Amino acid sequence: MADPMHQFEIQQVLELPAVAGFDLSITNSALWMIIAAASVTLFFAAASAKAAVVPGRLQSVGEMLYELIHNLTDSIIGHEGKKYFPFVFTLFAFILAMNLLGMVPYFFTSTSQLAVTATLGVLVIAVVIAVGFARNGLGFFKLFVPSGVPFFVLPLVVVIEVISFLVRPVTLALRLFGNMVGGHVVLKVFGGFVVSLGALGALGIVGALVTLTGTVAITALEFMVAFLQAFVFAVLACVYLNDVVNLHSH
Amino acid sequence: MAQTTPELEPGGAIVETPPTTTSHDLHESTEAAEHGSSGLPQFEFGYWPGQIFWLLIVFAILYVILSKLFLPRVGGAIEARAAKIEGDLADARIARDEAERQSAEAAAELAQARARAQKTAADAKAAAKAEADTRNAAEEAKLHERLAAAEAGIQAGREKAMSNVRNLAAETAEAIVEKLSGQAPTRAEVDAAIARNAA
Repeated sequence: MADPMHQFEIQQVLELPAVAGFDLSITNSALWMIIAAASVTLFFAAASAKAAVVPGRLQSVGEMLYELIHNLTDSIIGHEGKKYFPFVFTLFAFILAMNLLGMVPYFFTSTSQLAVTATLGVLVIAVVIAVGFARNGLGFFKLFVPSGVPFFVLPLVVVIEVISFLVRPVTLALRLFGNMVGGHVVLKVFGGFVVSLGALGALGIVGALVTLTGTVAITALEFMVAFLQAFVFAVLACVYLNDVVNLHSH
Repeated sequence: MAQTTPELEPGGAIVETPPTTTSHDLHESTEAAEHGSSGLPQFEFGYWPGQIFWLLIVFAILYVILSKLFLPRVGGAIEARAAKIEGDLADARIARDEAERQSAEAAAELAQARARAQKTAADAKAAAKAEADTRNAAEEAKLHERLAAAEAGIQAGREKAMSNVRNLAAETAEAIVEKLSGQAPTRAEVDAAIARNAA
């Protein structure tokens, strides 16, 4: 059976000279990020080409995605959400494209790389902190001091709040990473079972058919997970942004 | 850490490793085979800077493209549609109001026309009645006149006849008196006697 981890291996595609000791060569992971971004660009170029009043199919899908995230920023962040909509949308579209491309056999899943998901998680938190300081100045630290807490437990609560804030990028990164890796490993293992069971004779073929059915079902599930994880990432980015945008009502 | 790996063939040794192998085992087996590289391909930290670098670049470019170019276009189309629907609804509302106004106007005009027609008919009727009345009155007056004339004629005839009768009676009385008394009475005496008897 093929090694289920083999699909996550990084390979150099285009070697570039190291910068300050860091190897910035384009790997398959970076290549598929670029392909994902290009896909998003091409998709929206096509979807918004006509900007017709009566939309075609492609335009309808583009507008559906637009309104999905627009409603998200609107309902979670509120009126101010408009400013952060492009950021959240880029996150969503980019992650969705990487996840969905990963569903194609032999394509590489960039979001199965912890480096990628961790960077995205840290990016979200960095934006949250930047927006927090830009909007509230030092009042940003009020985020860690919930109102209405008795003062003798306040130190404890503040410590908990700080930890929960610092854990956010970690959970963002691990949730996406875990879902993508887990799904792909399960698919690979089940797919491998189909082959190795099918080689065992009559009884094996029955088992292979059962496993094949499972593989098909899991494939469908993984498509849903690919969409859901991108959506969850966008939702959480909105929630974290809302914390600092509407700090006074926190 | 960043300087370590690129030349390595990462994970090359684990191709034959069964899927059930724990990451701990993987870690050990690969570490034994390849100096310093950890088990999961995701923990080849030597590839991290490149991925992080390109991710940030690609994300930034995609952000600019989407936020400056495509999102405004898609949002513009949605807003244009909403505005168009709103405008069309407003137009329809105006048209409906206009139609309602016109229909009310037409109804008023109709009522007016009907009233005018009714008035004309009533006027005509009244005029015809008045004309007929005057004509009737004239005819009646003429008839009355003729009746009166006829009555007067009849009266005159009767009086004439009566006076003829009286004359005849007077002459007869004269003749009778003359025959009986041999003396002819005067006409005045006869008249007086007739008047006495007639009374």
